[in-house]
Amino acid sequence: MKELKELLRDPKILIGMIIMPLVMFPLLGMVIGTSIESTGQSLQTITLGIADFDQGEWSKNLTRYLSSVPNIVIMKITATNLNEAVAQLQTNPKATDLIVIPEGFSANISSRKQATIETYSVYSGKGLTEGATSSIISQLLAQYNRDLAPNLFKTEAGSIVKGQPRKIDPRALLQVMSSQVLVLPVTVSILLMFAMQIAATSVASEKEEKTLETLLSLPIDRFTILLGKMTGSIVVAAVSAVAYMVGFNYYMTSLTTGLGSQVTVDLEALGLAPSSLSYMLLGASLFAAILSALALAVILSAFTEDVRSAQSYMSYLYIIIMFPMLLVMFSDINTLPLALKIVAYAIPYTYPMLAAKAAFTGEYLQAILGILYVAAFTVILLYLAARLFATEKILTAKLRIRGFGQRRKGPAAEA
Amino acid sequence: MEYAVEARDLVKRFGEIRALDRLSFQVREREIYGLIGPNGAGKTTTIRIAATLILPTSGGLKVFGQDAVKEAAEVRKLITYLPEEAGAYKNLSGYEYLQFMGEFRAENSLELERMVQDAAEISGLGDRLRDKVKTYSKGMKRRLLVARALMTKPRLAILDEPTSGLDVIHSFHVRGVIKRFVEQHGVTVLLSSHNMLEVEYLCDRVALINKGRMVAEGSPEELKNKLDVANLEEGFAKVVGFA
Repeated sequence: MKELKELLRDPKILIGMIIMPLVMFPLLGMVIGTSIESTGQSLQTITLGIADFDQGEWSKNLTRYLSSVPNIVIMKITATNLNEAVAQLQTNPKATDLIVIPEGFSANISSRKQATIETYSVYSGKGLTEGATSSIISQLLAQYNRDLAPNLFKTEAGSIVKGQPRKIDPRALLQVMSSQVLVLPVTVSILLMFAMQIAATSVASEKEEKTLETLLSLPIDRFTILLGKMTGSIVVAAVSAVAYMVGFNYYMTSLTTGLGSQVTVDLEALGLAPSSLSYMLLGASLFAAILSALALAVILSAFTEDVRSAQSYMSYLYIIIMFPMLLVMFSDINTLPLALKIVAYAIPYTYPMLAAKAAFTGEYLQAILGILYVAAFTVILLYLAARLFATEKILTAKLRIRGFGQRRKGPAAEA
Repeated sequence: MEYAVEARDLVKRFGEIRALDRLSFQVREREIYGLIGPNGAGKTTTIRIAATLILPTSGGLKVFGQDAVKEAAEVRKLITYLPEEAGAYKNLSGYEYLQFMGEFRAENSLELERMVQDAAEISGLGDRLRDKVKTYSKGMKRRLLVARALMTKPRLAILDEPTSGLDVIHSFHVRGVIKRFVEQHGVTVLLSSHNMLEVEYLCDRVALINKGRMVAEGSPEELKNKLDVANLEEGFAKVVGFA
């Protein structure tokens, strides 16, 4: 009974373990729900390009069949070769798939020889929900194939990557890419969370172990102390992130090999392997984000008395890391409702995850703008953290709570 | 004459609470000056101002002529500070801790080595200095911290309750060390205590503080004679109005 009372009266436990889950999970549910919904909306109508190089009886029949399917908008491609057809398809940003009916298709079918249809799915790096359109198209074609007579034609599936038609099955590509899409945001989030946790613990343990006062009375610049704390945290966080990445990568490989996928996808040939520029951007973006996360953690932990409360304060900050992570993983931010989009872009931690994605899709402008935004945010936070360290507030924030009881100040009031 | 510490009309408010109420005092060079008073009298607040950790609401404090607010960086070079509730980094060994703290003040490795040797002697911890701090008892930890505060031979050592929470034997050791060290090296000490026995033994002069104000000042002998009491404890009760 006493245990229960003690625990329930501890505000940290109450907030951390009872109220937070009550808020957190509906919030997460909402985020995932909305992002899937918005992607779902874009799935409701599929814009399908048809390049009919055959212009015969059966190719027209197939076109008619596809246009009769509800929710499919046919875009007639008038090009004369594949590359032109792809270029024409990409003038419509909504177009996700292309069907190419080669010359001789009708003749083959009429003479009961096996005909071929090529399909191409546009790879855009949107997230886990990508690729739904290509499977719908292939199902429709299979249906048509059955209706006609068994196996009269076969489908060769390909992808359109950065405007180039490639002979690579979109499902295989997605399998490979989605593991990247998963690994990067998760790693970024973990890195950020670790770094924050470590910085907060480092400041809070100085308070808890009562070493901070001594440290502050030493003849060293306060800003140096702050930087020391942050550098230490970055190093430890980086090491743990590497360890995490290695572990996670191993997990992912064992998972995909377990699925028996023998398809090897040469990302470099597809232009999807991250370039050195994109690695640099990712690094810069990550560095800026980590610095700001650390400054934030230091500021917040300055208002705590011990390690435990610092850590529970940190868990509130995880929301602003988890939120963009889930958004980036499950959706294309650009298709989100405006309000959610604004929130996503306002959170600085969205950007390293977008930069991680840009590494594969080549949307560099957004990554660069993101770095600038995060850098500005970081400078402000660093300034605030330095101010906090330079004044007595780093000590008195605690003193007030400890010495005089009731007065609890929120970080916003003081910062 | 330049004082080691000169506090003038110190006022410190924490919200509604007036922790210090126009407190003034001077500490001469090479003396041990004690601030004594009950809990909440303002001893620690005064000491924290002198240690450049908090700022006075009004009034000022100088350490060897340097302003603790405006020239805090200069003051920090002159002082060492032992907080009442202080800890050491528990995953370091005693030696490593002393070395870490010494590096901030030592000019070269030779000086650092001497500091750590001195500290080892002051603390009297011997071989236990090789063990991690987390294995130390409270008394051992305090001895380590006192040694840390004295090893650099600062011009002013600010000690908040130097024997806080220690048993008779550890207290005895710590007091002896402080007294000897000050005599040998000419260090000035500003300390706070509510242990009247300690104050009588250690201090050249004391200030009795109550509710942020000075109520009496002088050497322990002077105070006893002036107040006509057998010991400082009685004197204190008399001044504050309990007796």
